[in-house]
Amino acid sequence: MRRFLSDPLSRAWLALLALSLAGALLTLVPVPQALIGAGVLILALVKARLILSRYLELGESPPWMRGIGTVLTGFVLLLLALSLL
Amino acid sequence: MSERSLIDELPGELMMWVLILSELLVFGAGLVALLAVRLTDPSGFAEAQDHLYRTGAALNTVVLVTSGYLAACALHWCRSGRRARARWALLLAAGLGALFLVIKGAEYAGKAAQGISYDTHPFFMFYYLLTGFHAAHVLAGVAILLLVAWRDAPRNIEAGAQFWHMVDLVWVLLYPVVYLAG
Repeated sequence: MRRFLSDPLSRAWLALLALSLAGALLTLVPVPQALIGAGVLILALVKARLILSRYLELGESPPWMRGIGTVLTGFVLLLLALSLL
Repeated sequence: MSERSLIDELPGELMMWVLILSELLVFGAGLVALLAVRLTDPSGFAEAQDHLYRTGAALNTVVLVTSGYLAACALHWCRSGRRARARWALLLAAGLGALFLVIKGAEYAGKAAQGISYDTHPFFMFYYLLTGFHAAHVLAGVAILLLVAWRDAPRNIEAGAQFWHMVDLVWVLLYPVVYLAG
């Protein structure tokens, strides 16, 4: 179990499961729909960065991770702005 | 001694990254278009979105990220010489991909039973276009995973796993916009 938890891939998978659960639970919270939309998009950004970094191994190349991560963050901010209008 | 260029630092094949970024641009444009058209009829889009099977989509997220984990493990095991383990992981990843399609099929069947089609509301045109195109990628990804489980050279598995992670990446961005953010 300790070996499983010390593996970065396994930790990424567990984090993705936890973030997916958090996104699903967030939709059940009685808050304005705009806040739910913002919350799930931010969680999606974190999940996408995890997939890029761990699954696609971009974390091993910090300049590429920074570059693609920045474009991705900009894209999610655009989606966020459109969903809040 | 030659210096490594920035291109050399990219994990895997350069062409796979060209494909990944191209696909992200295509799906990204679709998601932006959905949210832009939604501005013309926010209440209609929200009402249409309420007809979606959110539990199934959430379950499919778990299925896909778990499948991606298995594909990533397969590459790791293949690199360390554990071929049989890598092959099993790829087969399981493909199996979960097939499960994703079964759940998606049930979702589409549910919509058809309710009389909902692409022309019911503009939202559903985007819904069928984006999720259908993604499902086509899942289908292709399952075939690729099975192919690289058979032809299991590390380079093949790396390319196959990268394609599969792209499918995963598109879903984690598509799911909140199409199913949740209304």
